[in-house]
Amino acid sequence: MTTIVPPTTQTLTRLADELRRAIGSENVLTARSDLLVYECDGFVIEKNSPDVVVFPRSTADVVKVVQCCNRADVPFVPRGAGTSLAGGCLPIGGGVMIVLTRLKNILEINYRDRYAVVEPGVVNVHLTNALKGSGYHYAPDPSSQGACTIGGNVATNSGGPHTLKYGVTVNHVLGIEAVLADGSVVQLGGPAEDPLGLDLVGAMVGSEGTLGIVTKVWVKLTRNPQGWRTMLAIFESCDDATQAISEIIGAGIVPAALEMMDQGILVAIEAAFGFGFPLDAQAILLIEVDGLEAGLDQQRDQIVELCKRSNAREVRLAKDEKERLKLWKCRKQAFGAIGRLSPSYCTQDGVVPRTQLPNILRKIIEIGTRYDLKIVNVFHAGDGNIHPILLFDERQPEQVERVLLASNEILEACLASGGSVTGEHGIGVEKIHFMQKMFTPDDLQAMDNLRQAFNPLGKLSPQKMLPTAGGCGMEQKHPGRRAAL
Amino acid sequence: MPVSSDILPLQKTSDPATAAEVVDLVQQARAATTPLYPIGGGTSLHFGLRAKTPGWGVTLSKLNRVVDFPARDMTITVEAGITLAELAQTLAAEGQRLPVDVPAADKATVGGVIATNWNGPRRYGQGSLRDFVIGIEAVDGTGLLFHGGGRVVKNVAGYDFCKLLTGSLGTLGIITQVTFKVRPIPERSAWLACSLSSPKQAEAMLAALQQSAVVPAAVELLAGPVWQSQSALDELKLDPRGYALLVLLEGTAAEVLWMKDHLRREWRDAGVVNPLMEDGCAAPWLQIIEFSADLDSPITVQASVKPSGVLPFIEVCRQRDPNCSVLAHAGNGTVFVRFATFPDKGLGQLLLGDLQPAASAQQGHVVILNAPPGAEATNQSYWGGEAPLALMTAVKRRFDPLNLLNRGRFVY
Repeated sequence: MTTIVPPTTQTLTRLADELRRAIGSENVLTARSDLLVYECDGFVIEKNSPDVVVFPRSTADVVKVVQCCNRADVPFVPRGAGTSLAGGCLPIGGGVMIVLTRLKNILEINYRDRYAVVEPGVVNVHLTNALKGSGYHYAPDPSSQGACTIGGNVATNSGGPHTLKYGVTVNHVLGIEAVLADGSVVQLGGPAEDPLGLDLVGAMVGSEGTLGIVTKVWVKLTRNPQGWRTMLAIFESCDDATQAISEIIGAGIVPAALEMMDQGILVAIEAAFGFGFPLDAQAILLIEVDGLEAGLDQQRDQIVELCKRSNAREVRLAKDEKERLKLWKCRKQAFGAIGRLSPSYCTQDGVVPRTQLPNILRKIIEIGTRYDLKIVNVFHAGDGNIHPILLFDERQPEQVERVLLASNEILEACLASGGSVTGEHGIGVEKIHFMQKMFTPDDLQAMDNLRQAFNPLGKLSPQKMLPTAGGCGMEQKHPGRRAAL
Repeated sequence: MPVSSDILPLQKTSDPATAAEVVDLVQQARAATTPLYPIGGGTSLHFGLRAKTPGWGVTLSKLNRVVDFPARDMTITVEAGITLAELAQTLAAEGQRLPVDVPAADKATVGGVIATNWNGPRRYGQGSLRDFVIGIEAVDGTGLLFHGGGRVVKNVAGYDFCKLLTGSLGTLGIITQVTFKVRPIPERSAWLACSLSSPKQAEAMLAALQQSAVVPAAVELLAGPVWQSQSALDELKLDPRGYALLVLLEGTAAEVLWMKDHLRREWRDAGVVNPLMEDGCAAPWLQIIEFSADLDSPITVQASVKPSGVLPFIEVCRQRDPNCSVLAHAGNGTVFVRFATFPDKGLGQLLLGDLQPAASAQQGHVVILNAPPGAEATNQSYWGGEAPLALMTAVKRRFDPLNLLNRGRFVY
């Protein structure tokens, strides 16, 4: 276990001077008021200011920063746009935060070989925008794509609505250049598939900044589909809706997206956007298939049939591109509408086998009733990734307590059904106490072994992800507000 | 299966029936500081450097059960010793498949295929092997039984051991159990093929495919004597110096029909008349899948280059050996070359002097799949030389500090 000893003021003053000399004083922040911005990411329950924030402008800058930190024996943690919902960017023990947002160049786009090379600070949607009109896109599209960076996506192995058909970030990363904890630079993979030797690219994606600081990424580009069909299936009960999901997946259909919203969230979305959702429906499914035009009507008809067989009251088709985009806007901005329901909310991120969706939703309702909490649901149903949203008032400590207990029970239920406690938000500091429930001590030992190979002194992103890295026993006090997923 | 002593220096072979027995074996090997050589179907034992230190074989053939197949979740958990053919049969009963084509599927095991990271033609349309492994269990060189991932299709908890172990050649852990996500078997398949006279024309056709509305399942480029004797391709009248381009289409009946028609028109506009068109995917696809496993050629190599580098790389090989036979998963930049003659200057020189520079020029690398015993190159040249060996060695030392697992066969 790594113990982080807080650096002395004298050490920090000397380090800050050294960093200014190394990468320029305009790229170093030390004023208390500046540092406050970096005290947390999208996970706002735990906060801690870094002692210094740096903005490297090149791989060489990152190397210099890491060398300075190592000489001063001060911990350091990388950060992208800070949209993580699990506290991956929390600077535990203070130290130096390496903010990569100024490394924001798209270095190369190669359509013939279907890849792009980007710096880690490139905002996800900026790459998509750069590809507009080419017939290609970058497939991973988290709902935060307007803000989150590709380096951060690599760190957390981000998903998005298209995960169901197209796969998550790791399926789209060909290569990585990274600065390791000792300041050395490695290039793993590159434009060609199949790494030479061990697949360390695969090991680094989703490692939440604990194995290295990504300074360059080779990503795959994906051909745009020829067409889409977007449907809205309306159900009288959640059971019927989840049954329909199971039928669709079980029939071997791979939709581009398959999202569920229950009545609780529909009411808020309807109040916010006035789409015309039926407020008496208990659940709706937003289903999209994409691909060759020649196959789309058949898939659509099959889905309509399966929904009707699962007692769908009605299946509406988006009549044009405008209506389709409005439907997606309602889904993607659902979280913005929650403010109409409650002063505070907490989103959970669990995964269950898809056939277990009816059971887990019943369980969530039961847990909500038992803790006297309103829980609404909007989630990536097609891959079993649930996002129950627990509504409460954070000014009432007793409610906060109930939310924490209920959240834990929901995640325990996901594990009991053979699932996971995180499908896309990551472990960070938020779910570190669940690692021992999900994995055996031997599994965690193996994970620690991997970290030791990359990060033997534990100075890079200390006390994250693994309880063996010193993060266990951290008491969760407050579920906080969560940004959209 | 019995393993010939010129492939692995085995003193004895054990066949554990459970993961716990694998743990016991590793602990015994540790006590005796004797290397262990994991053996799946024995189909890829030529891959990698020749092992020199005598040790014990570990056959996984008794670990061959289907652990869990919740068909409606489109996932399956199996023990590592199950063959790809058995896995395919189990999945097919539910209309599903793992869309990874490997040679000798009746012998090749799940564990072996993952350890060696075999991929076939369908990786273009369906994704690579690593994309389908969602959960894994293995025993490391200290006897630690560990897991990564899980049984759900989306999961970011902990480090991704599924990726780390795929292609690790059994050097970090003996794989004992695997969970895959699987895909539905498509309704129809069909293929189109044409003969191309020059590398320039071949590259133009490949580049055009990249822009086509047609979404192929596989894009294969073939060249050399092996394919001229392939009767399914007789009609192409393949030029000994030319190329054949084969495109596999999969999907619903309507999709396949549309793609066949559209691609034929695109090819006609590009000057290709009378392409070969067949429904299904029998010959020559079976031969395409088996091509890389050939042990008759004196040297077989695999190059991974950027897709536009496929033809330049092949041309270098054909200059060195005009009678070499080539198969490329051209859409992915994977090239297999079977040389017809052993080079006078030796294996090391062929690699260092010709093949590695040619692959590097296309931002890729080349590894040896098969070479005669005694024709060894150095470790560095065998594995392309550019790998970040220090970091890989650091990982190896954490998982297998005594270097018991497949000692001497991989990059470190």
